[in-house]
Amino acid sequence: MKFRIRRFDEKRGSYWQSFEVPVTTAMTVLDGLFYIRENLDSSLAFRASCRMGICGSCAVKINGRPRLACETQVSKFREVKIEPLDNFAVIKDLVTEFEGFFAKHKKVKPYLINPKADYENPVEQIQTPEGLKVYYDFSLCIKCGACHSVCPAAATLEGYLSPAALVSAYRFNADSRDHGKEERLKIVSAADGVWRCHSAMECSEVCPKQIEPAKAIQLLRVATLR
Amino acid sequence: MRFLGWFKYRSPFGIAFMFQRITGLILVFYLCLHLAFLTSLQERELYEHFTSITVSKQFFIFDSLLILCGVFHGLNGIRIIIHEFGYAHEHRKAILVIFAVLILFAWLYGSYIMYMALGD
Repeated sequence: MKFRIRRFDEKRGSYWQSFEVPVTTAMTVLDGLFYIRENLDSSLAFRASCRMGICGSCAVKINGRPRLACETQVSKFREVKIEPLDNFAVIKDLVTEFEGFFAKHKKVKPYLINPKADYENPVEQIQTPEGLKVYYDFSLCIKCGACHSVCPAAATLEGYLSPAALVSAYRFNADSRDHGKEERLKIVSAADGVWRCHSAMECSEVCPKQIEPAKAIQLLRVATLR
Repeated sequence: MRFLGWFKYRSPFGIAFMFQRITGLILVFYLCLHLAFLTSLQERELYEHFTSITVSKQFFIFDSLLILCGVFHGLNGIRIIIHEFGYAHEHRKAILVIFAVLILFAWLYGSYIMYMALGD
């Protein structure tokens, strides 16, 4: 099968390169990328770690849509066209700059805030199954960046917090054990926060974990107005 | 040219978003043109002369496209408002289809009414 890859390096800039990859049963796009690196071109750069859809590091644009390379079967396509994610600066080939993305995530304080918690002498913070159910879906985000890469707000405004960060903000605000709701609402209702979302809903469409970033953003908007 | 980022998406929701922007710009442009045109027609004979040209079957295609822009922008806007209140995100595909049918129906009905009103 033909693999067409949009490569990039500082000297040559952006260019397309094709590789012929032998297909095996249940082969994923990530398997194909490893085949190319191990047999055809060792200079091909891409990120991968867990190979089972948990770490989110292998997210790339495959045939025009952001997907996890480790979860995408090549048998779905006649030809595989791979590009780096949009809305991220490319470092080399399929490797993109994620520092800014993680900095935005950090900005929304993605952890439980509990002033009374004594972390020197930790005690279990109990929660009912119903309490867990409220935010559980949103806790499945793997920070792969697929949502950010298709977001028109992120495409037009560099400082926009991004759907993934806003999902995290909602996930912790909806957690019954958390006491940092007001702090986070202040952050997400700033100029680069929830009000920049245009409700294009592309983030929900491409999320490999089928969580609903667009819904989390709208629920955060409602919460900021209360 | 960062605004071009609005126009590179591929799901039906991205296409709806793109047309929401385009129809919004067309409606604003049309409104300005409409107001400028009408305020330039200060005399009765002039007004009647020009409106006899623009309100005609030759111009009907433009009126019909304008109805499409207005209907799309309005109804798609209602769809977005529903989701912006945090409702029905899980059913967004069905809602998109329902609104697409409503848009098509409202456009055809509006165009029919306008065509009939033009007379012979």
